Amino acid sequence: MIRYYYYHILYVGMMNIMVLVPYVLISHRFNGAVSSFPLAIVFGTVYSFVTSAVFQRFPGLGLPEIYKLFLPVWLANCLNLIGVAVWSTAGVIVLFSYSNTVGIFFNPEASSYLNLAIMAAACLWAATRSSRSVQFTHEILLIICSPLILWILFKAVFSSWLDWDAIRLVAGEGIRKPPSMTCFFAATFVFSGHMNITLFNRLNPGNLKFRLRWTIPIIGAFFLLVSFFVPIGFHGTQAVGNYLYVWSVTTDSLMMKYGFIQRVLYLFLLLYTFLSLLFVMNTWHTGMEFFKACFKRYKPLTDEVNVPAINWWICVVLAGTTFAYAYFTNDMINRVAAEVWLTVRFFIESILIVLLLVFLFMKKKGYQRRPIPSRTQTNGGAGP
Amino acid sequence: MLDKIREILGDPADFTSETMDNGYARLSICFFPGMCDMDQLKDAIIVPFTYRFDPDEFRRMLQSSVAFMKDVPFDHVVDYVLKGYVGLEYEGEIFVFRAIRRMQTAPDQTQVEASLQGPQSAFTENLDLNMTLVRNLYNVPELSVENFEPENMSKSKIVLLYDRTKRNETTLKEVRKRLEALDKGLMMSAGQLAKQLSQAKYRLFPITQITERPDRLSIHLNKGKLAVMMDGSRFAVLLPVHFFDFMYAMDDHYEPSWMSRFLIGLRYVSMLLTLLLPALYISIVSYNPEVFRVQLAFTIDGSRAAVPYPSFIEVLLMLFMIEALIEASLRLPRSVGSTAATVGGLILGQAAQQAGLVSSIMIIVTSVVAISNFVIPNSTFSYFIRILKYAFVAVSIFAGLVGVVVALFMLVVYLCNMRSFGEPYLALFQSKAGKASN
Repeated sequence: MIRYYYYHILYVGMMNIMVLVPYVLISHRFNGAVSSFPLAIVFGTVYSFVTSAVFQRFPGLGLPEIYKLFLPVWLANCLNLIGVAVWSTAGVIVLFSYSNTVGIFFNPEASSYLNLAIMAAACLWAATRSSRSVQFTHEILLIICSPLILWILFKAVFSSWLDWDAIRLVAGEGIRKPPSMTCFFAATFVFSGHMNITLFNRLNPGNLKFRLRWTIPIIGAFFLLVSFFVPIGFHGTQAVGNYLYVWSVTTDSLMMKYGFIQRVLYLFLLLYTFLSLLFVMNTWHTGMEFFKACFKRYKPLTDEVNVPAINWWICVVLAGTTFAYAYFTNDMINRVAAEVWLTVRFFIESILIVLLLVFLFMKKKGYQRRPIPSRTQTNGGAGP
Repeated sequence: MLDKIREILGDPADFTSETMDNGYARLSICFFPGMCDMDQLKDAIIVPFTYRFDPDEFRRMLQSSVAFMKDVPFDHVVDYVLKGYVGLEYEGEIFVFRAIRRMQTAPDQTQVEASLQGPQSAFTENLDLNMTLVRNLYNVPELSVENFEPENMSKSKIVLLYDRTKRNETTLKEVRKRLEALDKGLMMSAGQLAKQLSQAKYRLFPITQITERPDRLSIHLNKGKLAVMMDGSRFAVLLPVHFFDFMYAMDDHYEPSWMSRFLIGLRYVSMLLTLLLPALYISIVSYNPEVFRVQLAFTIDGSRAAVPYPSFIEVLLMLFMIEALIEASLRLPRSVGSTAATVGGLILGQAAQQAGLVSSIMIIVTSVVAISNFVIPNSTFSYFIRILKYAFVAVSIFAGLVGVVVALFMLVVYLCNMRSFGEPYLALFQSKAGKASN
């Protein structure tokens, strides 16, 4: 069961190669991006360790339930709503930016709302499913996609067109500059897969022991370094700043000489469509579950066969928000919004880590307000 | 008694009802001669009544023998007679004797699920013989057999099988509940039974599996799952099933493991091909020809040069032709079979392409799709896949390559969301049988 935790870490790491982070890092490549990497690795690893250790001690409980154990209800609901805002906006931003990217490369003459509509409809339906189904979908899609994506990344790293001099130049210069705060906040997002345990801990059984946690810094560092240095190696230190969709153009420089599809770009974009849909499904599902947890009516169910109608209403609101966002913004405003989101997310995450440590301390001393409930009820049984 | 029974049955012409008198006592007997085994009837009733006619002896035989059921309420006698039993009245008491004619005494040959090296015997339409076949293969005392006799027009005998030590209690309760609540109409085949057990009309994938092989049923029972058999149908219903069970033929147990892994991989590739290839053809040819490498893109475009209409019309036309061909080949009489196949192949292939109605690449795509469809071992599942590919074609017409990928994502979510009697349908590394789905 711990493999689901690692799936989240893996796929958030892989997502970052494409979506939000590289633009921020590359635009600051001469101003302290590289020196923020070691800091980001350390912070990201520490945060992952803290969340896994704390949630291990509250088996079967998600974050809203843990809030209700230790905090008064009004405070718990406020924190829940903050969580809803952070998670849902992530999905909205990623959905808009990815549907734009895919529209530019696959359907340049079509309306930009067409791709958004298709992807929003799919994510809407997928996010309304029960948590256990979402988890199974994660597993299957990651097992299908990750070998191919890792193969593309290794192809890029070992390609003869990769210029190690450019990489050495940027790394050597950059490590001496003081770290840039924006880059630090963005780089920690690569490790943010651990935040998903705040919801999916509801599905974890009681005697979970997290092993192999030493792989987390290795995985995160790999994705962080690859997503920053490989475009610099392919395009050069100056030219890499000219591109809006950096990684798409980087994979376009790769070639599969003997395959059906010669330009790796198309394969890369199709695989990343799966990953983006996964990401948005996950974030919208989490946001929806946190919103439902504010109301007493909705018990936390993890395996219901017929989802309650409120799921659909919330996800329709989220999809509508995405369309409204798409109407009022363009690519550049989106990137500014993404930077702002990454910064806000880091502060919320830090506050959450401190809160979790406080909760652990309170549990040890026995300061709970309510007794710990038994494992969240599943409504599985035999369905249709 | 005889008059009443004859009245209830409406005095049919194939019904025998006689009163025999051997000088010492009278015996009224009624049965359907076509449904009864006359040898058993003769040996058990007529010969003793005629030759060992001492009333005491005959009464002792009727009372003590296990073959004669007594204290049967009158309205049930008619049901028994309709099933092939013999109704007797002797000295005012009513007895029922089982002498059902067996139409088969040997197991059938496998017709739908063939295997190269495994056993070739299949179930028959007689429930007792099927139970014998199962018991021969799954020869342990933990095999539980439960009877269900629903009150419908076919009065079919249904039997539920499971291994007592390995089964999942939740699933068992749910299946029992559904077997109690079966429909009141005619039930003639295991397929109908499976449909009623599934209880959802618009499902895209089956949650039960139908098999004619006793060895498949035994493997299924050994995993802790349930099986339902019906008298009169040579197929058994296996449940609950997972997605992976459908891609798995019996030969995978009997062949060496590398061979079977290769074949399972081949089946998955075929399933993806038959599902996606028409949709990919439309989206690549009409939306994004630059996806393919240059030489391939030119070849495809060149072969389409003579075709006067867009690619999706070509695809729909060829798909309709191949579906009609497959459906017609089920019903062709043997004498015209080969003629029709030749005509179909020639016309669909060569002539249509030469006339410029379809491109040659489309012919190849269609034949790959048709052949890959039949690589899937389970016929119900391959029907569902055949239908699902039209959904992908529709999506690709409107949304191109991105639409196909998004539709594939939705298919995976749909499969992961399905539960087959409480167990997840598509989930890797699931817990072993016997533990509750947690």
